[in-house]
Amino acid sequence: MSEKERLVELRNIVKIYGEHMVLKSVDFDLHAGEIHCLVGENGAGKSTLIKILSGAVSPESGEIVILGKKMKTLNPRLAIEMGITTVYQDAEIVDSLTVAENIFLGNELNSKMPFKIDKQRQADETQKILENLGIDLDANELAGNLSTAEKQMVQIAKALHRKARVIIMDEPTSSLGLEETRALLTLLKNLKSQGLGIIYISHYLNEVFEIADRITILKDGEKMGTYPLQEVDLNTVVKKMVGRDTALFFQRKKVPIGDVRFYVRNLTKKGIVEDVSFDVRAGEIFGIGGLVGSGRTELVSLIYGALRPDSGEIVMDGKTVVLKSPIDAMKKGICFVSEDRKKYGMFLGRNVVENLVAVKNKLSRRFLLNLSEELRLSTQTVNKLSIAVSDRDQLIEELSGGNQQKVIIGRWLLNTDAALYIFDEPTKGVDIGAREQIYQIMLELVENKKSIIMVSSDMPELLSMSDRIGVMRNGRMTHILQNDGLKEEDLMRLFIGV
Amino acid sequence: MPERKNSNQVLQKGKKPLYKNQWFFLLLAEVVLAVITGSINPRFFALSNITNILEQIAVLGILASGMTMLIISGEIDISVGANIGLVSCVIAMMIKNDVSYFWVVLVALILAAFNSLLVGSSSLVFKAPSFITSLGFLSVFRGTAYAITKGVFQTIYGKFEALGLTRLWGILPLGFLIGILIYFLAHFILKYSKLGRHFYAVGSNPAAAYLSGISIFRTKLLAFLINGLMIGMASMILLSRVGAAQPTTGSGLELRAIGAVVIGGTPLSGGKGNILGTFFGVLLMGIISNTLNMLRVNPYFQEVVFGIFIVASLAVSAFSAYAGKGVFKKAIRQSKEG
Repeated sequence: MSEKERLVELRNIVKIYGEHMVLKSVDFDLHAGEIHCLVGENGAGKSTLIKILSGAVSPESGEIVILGKKMKTLNPRLAIEMGITTVYQDAEIVDSLTVAENIFLGNELNSKMPFKIDKQRQADETQKILENLGIDLDANELAGNLSTAEKQMVQIAKALHRKARVIIMDEPTSSLGLEETRALLTLLKNLKSQGLGIIYISHYLNEVFEIADRITILKDGEKMGTYPLQEVDLNTVVKKMVGRDTALFFQRKKVPIGDVRFYVRNLTKKGIVEDVSFDVRAGEIFGIGGLVGSGRTELVSLIYGALRPDSGEIVMDGKTVVLKSPIDAMKKGICFVSEDRKKYGMFLGRNVVENLVAVKNKLSRRFLLNLSEELRLSTQTVNKLSIAVSDRDQLIEELSGGNQQKVIIGRWLLNTDAALYIFDEPTKGVDIGAREQIYQIMLELVENKKSIIMVSSDMPELLSMSDRIGVMRNGRMTHILQNDGLKEEDLMRLFIGV
Repeated sequence: MPERKNSNQVLQKGKKPLYKNQWFFLLLAEVVLAVITGSINPRFFALSNITNILEQIAVLGILASGMTMLIISGEIDISVGANIGLVSCVIAMMIKNDVSYFWVVLVALILAAFNSLLVGSSSLVFKAPSFITSLGFLSVFRGTAYAITKGVFQTIYGKFEALGLTRLWGILPLGFLIGILIYFLAHFILKYSKLGRHFYAVGSNPAAAYLSGISIFRTKLLAFLINGLMIGMASMILLSRVGAAQPTTGSGLELRAIGAVVIGGTPLSGGKGNILGTFFGVLLMGIISNTLNMLRVNPYFQEVVFGIFIVASLAVSAFSAYAGKGVFKKAIRQSKEG
């Protein structure tokens, strides 16, 4: 290894988002002519690490060395000039231009006539690059007609045309079919033999084991180690990806579980959620786990009426319900705390009270608001959930992440007829203190015979809160497991399907 | 961890200093402007001139009230002026032909509301910004007005005067009182009704509003409906006061209304704002207009002043939105990188 040129080196990289340390002094390096795979759970810090390398975000501290040169600052343009290209799933390809025009976009070849682009020469050179890479594409094809995989290949070709030395690929195969994946992996091996360095991020460990020279494992922002492929096996990698200290697990109280209150049968939304069936009982927390993009959020959106299913039925208290929109679900007592409170929850620019009573008001039949009742209820909620708020006119965006989340949850607690609560990533971007409080709120709900469906990417959360866990993979619920003695690594194996 | 409060105690009111309110600055500007103008031309403070100002801002105030609700819910209508032109031409022709005032009032309100709903529904159904659809309908309304009047001035002298020319106790114009009434109504809707709350919700975050069970389509359409009714009301008062209508009647009023709303502290991005700000915004518009007359500024130049004023009010609203959040710098940085 030592005779090979070192293309990239990251030393002691630290990145903090808000109150969260997402990278804790991580080292990483890449040699010429190798494929270095980066693996880890959702939120382990893989994407942040490559964003730092591609200049999209800057680290709090640490060193970035590219081609032996220490970089003081790095931005996307500079990174590309230094020969580091990130291939995204869809971006950066202009659909209305041909393959050749896309590759030469930004540094077009001029013909002898001023302002006129030499299209023929561009097409010829593109064809040469494509042939060289063994990509079977016509340089004059419109990019809009290409598949996702082919677009990725065009991006790679473009990177090579720009003399890239390092190619970063973040989950390139998550929306590709088997054959396209094969073709892409072959291409990557080909690039490797031409002396390029490739950083490859994927949840699919079998791909990783097929192409990797070295594997670096991240967990909760920490590097668990870098291993040459020969020195590790799949089991070790999975174990290192998870395997946390028991202190991270929340010790929850068990609550007696009642009868089935809610179930779905063969719920299908073409291409997103396929044939999902499960039930939830009174007093039960039903966890849903899986990788990002496995269809978890889409599944709960179907249950909440924010998406319409193509087929299947949703049954509540013995009656089939048809949900045309969220209001229908609300009236049936279904509550939904979405995964992204900023995008789907908070009314920015409005105060805490208005944000708290939104659902309560919508469900009342009156035309006029009852302002004193609003104030009483929101005071009560603020006290009960100990939301730190200075006064009733404070805007919701001025609160901390944990308090914002408590406001959004509190909004649904005011719906007294609620029967089923859906929590999508209930503690995302929330500090430890607020996190435990949110768990307490959830436990109080199940004690009062409510049912909870909880989607979570946080493995300790999923394992410590759920009574049962449904595993989603590629839009299907592949397993439903009773949560006793379940281990992180077992679950992880089911998530990635190995 | 905040300290526990007694259960009978409610959250206290926020302490917002007076100077942090947009309307406070407007009031300040108005006083300064009035004092300056008055010292140059003392006739500014004459009772007749003040009555005159009140009369002039009545129509603008009614339009701005409707526009406030529309902008809060995240939409806009720039066909207001053309809508007024069409409505006042239609009702002027009806009055000329001695149609009963009952039908005149009804047609004014319904036609204006229908037009506004056309703008709104086309924007919502075709998922096009209402700025663009209203720009299209502006042309439709004005063209229709030209077609039905054949471009001829519609005069109604001596008829339909009560609305625009009545002055209670010889001082207070009736139109102004109606305007005040509508301010109160709009304030009531925004502050005390579920509908008003929904306006803020869909303007602030449509996705969150949808997930809270609010119908975005219905809410926004209601904002357009109310806006239309205000336009109908304003058309009648305007026609009654002027005594004549032509297709260009009311043109330019939409920009003044939008300007008054924005300078009153309601950002074009929606989800924020109140009627009190709009009231002072309208008043400022009226005083500026009157001042320019008092100081004998060339009327063509007045148009220029209003145009600049509106752009300046947008700038103020943009800067106050960015203020203190570093968003502005970030936006600039991003546009450089992008």
